[in-house]
Amino acid sequence: MFEPFYEVINNVSKTVLKYEKEQGRPVVGVMPAYFPMELIDAAGGYAVQLWGNNLPLGKVDGYLQTYCCSVARSVLELELVGGAEMVKAYAFTSLCDTLINLREVYKRLFPKPTLEISIPMTQTRAARRSYLKSVIQSVVEGLEKVTRQKIRGDALAEAARIRGRSRELQRGLYKMRRQRPGLIKNKDFYAAIKTGFFLPPIVYNEMLETLHLGLDGLEDRGSKGPKLVISGLVFDPMEIYGILDELGVAVVDDDFANGWRTVSKDELRVGDLVEGVTEFIFNPAPCCCIYNPDNDRHPYLVDKVKDAGADGVLFWYIKFCEPDAFDRPQLMERLREESIPSVTIDVELSMTSFDAIKTRVNAFCEILEG
Amino acid sequence: MTEFKAFSKMKELMTNYYIEAKTTKEKPIAWITSGAPVEFLFAMDIIPIYPENYAAMCAANHQSVELMEAAEEAGFSQDICAYARTDFGADLTQGGPAGGLPPPHFLVCSTNICKTVIKWYEVVARKYNVPLFIVDTPFLHEGLNKDLIDYTVRQLKDLENFLSEFMGRPFDRERFYKVLALSQEAAEQWKKMLYLGKTMPSPFNSLDSFIHLGPIVTLRGTKECVDYYKLLYKEVAERAEKKIGSIPEEKYRVLWDNLPVWFKMRRLERFFEEKKCTLVVTTYANSWGGLGNHQTEAENDPYELLAASYLNVYINWGFEERIKYLAQLIEEFSLTGFIMHSNRSCKPYSVGMYRLQEELSRLTGRPGVVIEADQNDPRVYSDAQVETRLEAFIESMGSN
Ligand code: SF4
Ligand code: SF4
Repeated sequence: MFEPFYEVINNVSKTVLKYEKEQGRPVVGVMPAYFPMELIDAAGGYAVQLWGNNLPLGKVDGYLQTYCCSVARSVLELELVGGAEMVKAYAFTSLCDTLINLREVYKRLFPKPTLEISIPMTQTRAARRSYLKSVIQSVVEGLEKVTRQKIRGDALAEAARIRGRSRELQRGLYKMRRQRPGLIKNKDFYAAIKTGFFLPPIVYNEMLETLHLGLDGLEDRGSKGPKLVISGLVFDPMEIYGILDELGVAVVDDDFANGWRTVSKDELRVGDLVEGVTEFIFNPAPCCCIYNPDNDRHPYLVDKVKDAGADGVLFWYIKFCEPDAFDRPQLMERLREESIPSVTIDVELSMTSFDAIKTRVNAFCEILEG
Repeated sequence: MTEFKAFSKMKELMTNYYIEAKTTKEKPIAWITSGAPVEFLFAMDIIPIYPENYAAMCAANHQSVELMEAAEEAGFSQDICAYARTDFGADLTQGGPAGGLPPPHFLVCSTNICKTVIKWYEVVARKYNVPLFIVDTPFLHEGLNKDLIDYTVRQLKDLENFLSEFMGRPFDRERFYKVLALSQEAAEQWKKMLYLGKTMPSPFNSLDSFIHLGPIVTLRGTKECVDYYKLLYKEVAERAEKKIGSIPEEKYRVLWDNLPVWFKMRRLERFFEEKKCTLVVTTYANSWGGLGNHQTEAENDPYELLAASYLNVYINWGFEERIKYLAQLIEEFSLTGFIMHSNRSCKPYSVGMYRLQEELSRLTGRPGVVIEADQNDPRVYSDAQVETRLEAFIESMGSN
């Protein structure tokens, strides 16, 4: 049932080239995270999310220091080795210091245009609104230049509907996973989510509809190991799910920036685009990169664990990611107060040896199983 | 360090400041980032406390390692900015000079230096259960524009409301204008002093300016701060006049980009002196001279002026602007080369720096070097590695 998804994620360049040709739309490379891709669709672009590759890193050393996260490093490596030639422009968000500077590096190195949703981190509401308005306007103009096509209201509404449907279908998978842990292998689950990074949303939606049909009638095989919630920025490298599957762990929910934090977003409201984008960025799931005291990560994560009936939390820490690293100690403390066990694994996208992770997760499972 | 008589005055100022902060019963304490608009706090009689400055002091006193270890023990990753780790450790153990910082009543944080400070202050806000006010000053990828200024001005006005609510009395505009004038004057004096570095030989070196940063960071907006920099300026100007250099023989003149390596000040100073190399100018110390630039536009709306100054700091600029500015400094200060500190702690200052170095060298024809270090964490610093690179760099200036 999952072969078509693996077919995509194991052949990303081929897939992207195929659809680029078929659709005749310029590819816009999307950086982490929360860039409303509806805007790209509506401008007639082909949005492809670029993070999460696990290329061996080499060339990037001359441009980004080793203390930068592997998300930034691997994405630049991709460009440096010519793996992103089809990309015509880049869409950034100002999620962290690394990404902000990365955009500057791109501007110096490559002639392709870069756009950015600069996220206003203020509690002064009126200021936030007017600033975001100007940001969106400049992004829209930038996109229109790249695609040479105006963003029309009907195209935007259609894009919102289609992307909204993708996330709705993805949420369906999340729900299924919570209700019937063990039904979908962890690796298959994330293969299905990840596939959406690379496909035109209509094509992806069809695949998800078919998957839903296939899964609906299936019996839950049950999980033998503990049930976990995972929290982190990026849900790669995929190899780790192989380990979790082997250990019989059922991931029942996640708190990944490119997982549930994105999947949970409702259809983009385009009637008032500024409000719509604000809502899209700041809600419903909180994120370590988005300052939003009205949407606190602590009760959110505790509730998530309880609702999912999880036995513990696995913090999936992409090395050098400061936003994540700052939050974690207090978050773990809060979980401890609620008697929810948690453990952290250090992850690099380019890692090739997973033994240490396996040992660590195994030990955690043993504790959970008492 | 160059011997300045003013130094003892600075020590006195800083000591008094910390004593007041630690002992006050009446005045509220606000923790604030180094690049935040402190003028608003002084106008309301609130004592600003600078955790970054404190962390630097800890490192200069060689206390940062034990403090960071305490923070790491409590779960804070070695990957986060060492200033934050040092302060978390001081907070946990009440260690460090003067036994830690006085607890905050609220926090003010501006993103012009980094986004990291939001994360840092969120941790503090949660721990002390105090409000956090953010003045968001977005990165200037494409330079300053009206939208950015409006955005910041609105937040500054909101900060006034916040302070007035917190203090239970109206915001004191009159006092604020006075504080602002003092702040500008201090920045002006500071900048004037730094620009005496153009004299050959340079009457001071950048390690001196790092040490003398204390008041401009923590006390700008007060009269004491202005008086202090007037005093310092006078002394430095005299040296400049008499052509007394900060080191006995100055053969090379270089720029230092990024924060100092606080725990290696003495050793680096000896190293550079031996090599007849003066660190003449730094982007870091220059950052606090910004407000002074706007003196001539005093008739402008002070809120716009403040917004523009606080947005318009080096570390908040795109690479194009950074390169232009660095090239200009190299020219104006007659420099023979430049050193870039790739600072593991400070991503906004460092990420992508190799590219800057390459372009700047190409543009100016001057050699430059990138050294891998950290402002506060000696455990990721290697004397041998840094000094070997610096030696090669200094040699390359000799052969130019
Ligand atoms: S993983 Fe963290 S540090 Fe890296 S790009 Fe994402 S938010 Fe930034
Ligand atoms: S050293 Fe850099 S990362 Fe740390 S607080 Fe200062 S500006 Fe931010």
